[in-house]
Amino acid sequence: MKHRLLLTLVLYLVLGVAAWAQTRSVSGRVTAAGDGSGLPGVTVLERGTTNGTSTDGSGNFTITVQEGASLVFSSIGYTAQTVAVGNQSNITVRLQTNETILGETVVIGYGSQAKRELTGSVTQLSSKEVENVPTVSFEQAIQGRTPGVQINQGSGKLGSAVQIRVRGASSVTASNQPLYVIDGIPVTSQDVGAANTDPINPMADLNPNDIESITILKDAAASAIYGSRASNGVILVTTKKGRAGETRVNVGAYYGRSEATRIRKFLNADQYKELFSEAILNSAKNPNGYINFYYGEDPDLEQVFAEEGGMDLNSTENTPWGDLAFRKGSVQQYDANVSGGDAKTRFFISTTFNDQTGIIIRNRYRRGSIRTNFDHSISDKLKLGLNLSFTRSVNDRVSDDAAFSNPVQLNALPPIQSAYDASDPSGLNRNTLYYNGLVDVDNASNRAGTYRSFSTATLGYEPIKGLMLRTENGVDFLNLNESLYYGSLTEDGAPTGYGYQNQLQGTNFTSNNTATWLKTFGEDHNVELLGGISYQRYNEQSNSSEGQGFPNDQFKKIASAARITGASSAGTGYSFLSYLARVNYTFKNKYLLSGSIRTDGSSRFSDNNRYGTFPAGSIGWVITEEDFLSENGILNFLKLRASYGLTGNAEIGNFAFRRLYSAIPYADVAGIQPTGLGNPDLTWETTAQADFGVEFGFLDNRISGEVDVYQKKTRDLLLNLQLPYTGGYPSVTRNVGKLQNRGIELSLNTRNIDGDFKWLTNFNISVNRNKITELPGGEIISGGRNLGRVRQGEPIGVFWGVKYAGVDPDNGDALYYAEDGSKTNDYGAASQQKLGDPNPKFTGGLTNTFSFKGFDLSLLNQFTYGNDIYNIGGVFQSVNGDYFDNQTIDQLKRWQKPGDITNVPRASFADANGTAPSSRWISDGSFFRFKNLTLGYTIPAEMAKRGFMKSARVYVTGQNLITITNYDGYDPEVNTTTFGQANYLLGHDFYTPPLAKTWLVGVNVGF
Amino acid sequence: MSCDKQLDITPQQSVDAGTALSTPQGVESAIIGAYARLDLPQSYGTNLVLLPDLLGAGPEYLTWQGTFKSYQEVTAKNMTSINTEADRTWNQNYQTINLANLVLEATPVLTDEAQKSLIEGEAHMIRGMLFFDLVRLYAQPYQTPSNAPEGVPDPASTPGIPLSLTANKTEAQASVRLARASVQEVYTQVLTDLTTAMELLPDPNEGTDVRRFDMYDAKALLARVYLQMGNYAKALELSNDVIENSGASLNASVISTFTNKNSSEVLFEVQQNDQNNAGASNDGLATFYSSNIRGFGGRGDVRVLEAFAARYEEGDQRGATEQIGASLIYTGDGRRAGRLRSYKWNTSSQNIPIIRLSEMYLIRAEANQRLNSAVGAAPLEDINMLRSRAKAPLLAAVTLTSILNERDLELAFEGFRLHDYKRTGRAIGDFTASSPELVMPIPQYEINLGNALPQNDGY
Repeated sequence: MKHRLLLTLVLYLVLGVAAWAQTRSVSGRVTAAGDGSGLPGVTVLERGTTNGTSTDGSGNFTITVQEGASLVFSSIGYTAQTVAVGNQSNITVRLQTNETILGETVVIGYGSQAKRELTGSVTQLSSKEVENVPTVSFEQAIQGRTPGVQINQGSGKLGSAVQIRVRGASSVTASNQPLYVIDGIPVTSQDVGAANTDPINPMADLNPNDIESITILKDAAASAIYGSRASNGVILVTTKKGRAGETRVNVGAYYGRSEATRIRKFLNADQYKELFSEAILNSAKNPNGYINFYYGEDPDLEQVFAEEGGMDLNSTENTPWGDLAFRKGSVQQYDANVSGGDAKTRFFISTTFNDQTGIIIRNRYRRGSIRTNFDHSISDKLKLGLNLSFTRSVNDRVSDDAAFSNPVQLNALPPIQSAYDASDPSGLNRNTLYYNGLVDVDNASNRAGTYRSFSTATLGYEPIKGLMLRTENGVDFLNLNESLYYGSLTEDGAPTGYGYQNQLQGTNFTSNNTATWLKTFGEDHNVELLGGISYQRYNEQSNSSEGQGFPNDQFKKIASAARITGASSAGTGYSFLSYLARVNYTFKNKYLLSGSIRTDGSSRFSDNNRYGTFPAGSIGWVITEEDFLSENGILNFLKLRASYGLTGNAEIGNFAFRRLYSAIPYADVAGIQPTGLGNPDLTWETTAQADFGVEFGFLDNRISGEVDVYQKKTRDLLLNLQLPYTGGYPSVTRNVGKLQNRGIELSLNTRNIDGDFKWLTNFNISVNRNKITELPGGEIISGGRNLGRVRQGEPIGVFWGVKYAGVDPDNGDALYYAEDGSKTNDYGAASQQKLGDPNPKFTGGLTNTFSFKGFDLSLLNQFTYGNDIYNIGGVFQSVNGDYFDNQTIDQLKRWQKPGDITNVPRASFADANGTAPSSRWISDGSFFRFKNLTLGYTIPAEMAKRGFMKSARVYVTGQNLITITNYDGYDPEVNTTTFGQANYLLGHDFYTPPLAKTWLVGVNVGF
Repeated sequence: MSCDKQLDITPQQSVDAGTALSTPQGVESAIIGAYARLDLPQSYGTNLVLLPDLLGAGPEYLTWQGTFKSYQEVTAKNMTSINTEADRTWNQNYQTINLANLVLEATPVLTDEAQKSLIEGEAHMIRGMLFFDLVRLYAQPYQTPSNAPEGVPDPASTPGIPLSLTANKTEAQASVRLARASVQEVYTQVLTDLTTAMELLPDPNEGTDVRRFDMYDAKALLARVYLQMGNYAKALELSNDVIENSGASLNASVISTFTNKNSSEVLFEVQQNDQNNAGASNDGLATFYSSNIRGFGGRGDVRVLEAFAARYEEGDQRGATEQIGASLIYTGDGRRAGRLRSYKWNTSSQNIPIIRLSEMYLIRAEANQRLNSAVGAAPLEDINMLRSRAKAPLLAAVTLTSILNERDLELAFEGFRLHDYKRTGRAIGDFTASSPELVMPIPQYEINLGNALPQNDGY
């Protein structure tokens, strides 16, 4: 109460002072330069004050200003304009659209900067790119829009982790994922769950509709301010803020349906019987054949089908198992936000509910969130900000790719077996060759429930003009609850049910304390200095338990389990303490100079190597500011920039430098065992990056763009060096080896037609070449059936192994290439060679946007070229009937008699003809995708008004509509994580679900 | 800097290696850790028991019906050098061997002589038994003039496995490439380790922890090693010693050996319980062997073939009966129902007998038969003792063949098949004792690193 009184008093005082000064009222209208329509939501600010408003639904505004004032009109996507009020009482302003975004302000680390003055390489995207796209997390929505940044969804499972590479992979063992920073606070972006091998994406907890901008810091000049975390790039997310002016209310909703982009085809019952009967008979004829060994030369086919596979050869079933994993999914979202405020207090409040039913059976994702972003000026010098968000998400997950209960693995089941069995309590046939995963639909659940809060409080103080002291304190709170129950009828839960519960709490606390000083010396010298201290601490605690022996399937919690088969509680954490500084200097707005330095200390390294220092410097030259170009009518903008700097990578786990012993229980007593060799000399991995860029705009900025050339050299690679098994430690983490990424990225924006009818194009293309330049510990071979390797002189993850040479026409044996190029059926005699490259030669996107009157149409195409995919499931799916897994249709082309020319070897049951890992299952993964098509119609303002609305837009969106590819699997955008997430296991497909193709209709209404 | 302490974050579930083994309690914990590692699925928890039976499988024994490609290949004897079982079995057991070496190096901190003697004995025992089982899987069998299956090469010139005998704590130590010692050298090391263990380990008659090794466990294992080497005199002496002096006695029921824990017949078994076991869904002997809908469940991956079940006579509790649990072979009613399964491995929490007394009777009988002696008892007496316990009809006379037959019946599915057939020169299907297909490949991982060379023939 007291406080309110005080506040009121202060307000009266302020208003009283204001009333004394001479003021005048100004009104007017802001329109778009193109079609002349009124622009809503434009911020109108009296220059040098906090006095402001914003335009209403038709672009009108009214403001009271002091004598001699100037008004600044600004809006995202338009070039800001300053108008002196003078004697005018009515002002009409036409704002130029700003597709070149050169006038735009860009968010950078610990601050912001005008795009034209930037000397680093940065990609910034706005809210409109991520709003109302039917994806779970925002990264999925910006695919194809990010030059230099490769985004791979990897799997169609809802909420699964997304692989992001900013200018290539910079590490072999440490993480290659970028650092995510939301409103200044680094957040948990990697999976922390324990229930599945397949990771979930903690970034899904951020409501994409709350995002104002996404900024990706790519070169050292931009990212080195994040020091030891920056080698993989930094993604800065800024959430929406309220603006002074009328309170606006926006409500939106969409609903849509989805299906798989592609479902692979497998043999039908007749084809199956034919292929496998032949395979069994061939194996019987082979003196060393498996069937010959167990059944002799003349086996009874019915008997072999029954004894080996439990199948009835005379069955009349024809079950399309491969299709049963999929269904029509749905997407729906409802959201509302209210924003507004006045010169002193601004707010943005939003809420959303999103519900996606997956195209894969059992898969569903739901998210509800609220957010309040609040800014208040306590005085002209003291500003307070508070961003609070809370999200609840529930992910009903499907099993790991490699699990028999993964629905996609249903494609392995024989079509001659029935899916259903009325006499079974589950109603399903539970005597199939492999587990009938349909049983899990009604009898199992795997739910990851998350409570998440991204919250930041800031206090800014400006003791003297130009000096800003700022403290920013934030917490990313993550509470994950994984709850699994497998009923008594399921394979994993038989015979009495299986329950698992894991509760994890991860808290990321960050405090950023900075001082920024802005000063103009004379007319020509602008200096901005930044200094600061940052501290981050992560703490994680988890508790899990596991039980079996439930009374019946109505009981699902471990309290009801007779036997507790596992329980654990564990904790971990890390901390970073950092000192940072930056200087930006511009001379006459044309010569730009910037330098930054950060020193990071981390708990992840031993006392010997606790601190690392990461400097960067950059220069820029805005040539169009020079006299000799200032009068030219063609070139509007031309800037050259160059940067060089060091960044680090410390993402190797929290205690890698320590040599430790951990507990290992032996029935009722616990022992200890060594867990790794440790390495006290372990230190940062350092990336030195040089970047050269050109930014340009000509023909009235109708053509504008940016080209960057870069080279990233990483040294002291954090590497899990493979050691001989006989020494007792399979690997040690070391700083050895070097790699490099070189690339070019181009982004081009054109306004092709600019009038009532508008056509804008954005094209971007990125080329990155990764190469391991030094690998003293020797080649890293992922082992097992994987083909990904790390080899000196080759890109990371290169497919290396035995090259398939087709089929011997004489006997149908699978052949492989030997050292001398000859073909051999002896796999042991074949030579190891390069088989392919999972890294694309180039990637990019093409966006065409059309608008006419109230209609808008945008089409986003995404493409990836030159990468190879290895279908590691091929040894089961496409292996000429070596085992009873149903086969892909192409296996019908198997060799049958001498003289047959084919690529598919002789079918021979369990005789391993062509089953060894080889290039047999490698194919081109290039694709061109119609990623997003949106057609919208904005109801004319006059009409909307009649419905008491300020604005209204209806739209139809299609996502992943068409995919053009030669890949014969499910979806070419694939990267299974089921064999671990090693950075060099790229482009592997293993029963991985495809992405969803979605159509939706939506509406947005403003009040 | 003053804020440095903010950067000291220590692990919450681990201790520093520098101090882990610096106290008697620490060394005690480490040897328990080595026992725990014997229960890994890559060790006796699954593979050291399962692989000799799968690689020794034929139409007269069992087959693998499961879907794991790696075990399919072992059973079909068409492994490649990247076979997962070959890789992980080798990898994990060498880690255990290193732990035993670390314990041996750390024992000077033990002040209590009895404790020191026990722990050193245990470390030698664990190292010796792992070398023995690895050399039997990854190398050609041991051959001497008294034990000469056709075509088996001289052990002194046949590659065995690398002998890792140092306590590795640094990268320099751990990265040493080791050549394969000869089969002869490996057996010499096994004998040295087990003999040392025998001398150090306590006498169970003076009261010992049944869950840990004692003197007679070492003697029993030595008897097994000597039998494998064809040294029947030593095998006889040791097996007789164990039978007469260890205090162990046959259980009244052969089934109870596999349903009870630490029963009187068992000299050593790997301990398991509900929480800590080799696996209940993707690993574990019961996981693969069992198909029992009212019991543990299981995957029903290993199928006992009718031809083998037919070798048991009417009433033999080791053979097949209708009622699940009434004998050691049953018709499964869970996964892949209707096929014969072994009841020896029926739940994931059961203990895994590694050395039991009936093996000692079989060794004594075989050695007496071969040496034409009757130390302790006549072979017929020993064999009939086992048969009468199993409720099988008694024999009137025995031959070497019928003793080996009895061994097949008694020790089925316990990891003896491959080693016994190689030792006695019996073919497995068409594969003779020296067939390269019956030897596991050295993991390709090692070959790639230039370690444990050379690779075995055929890979």
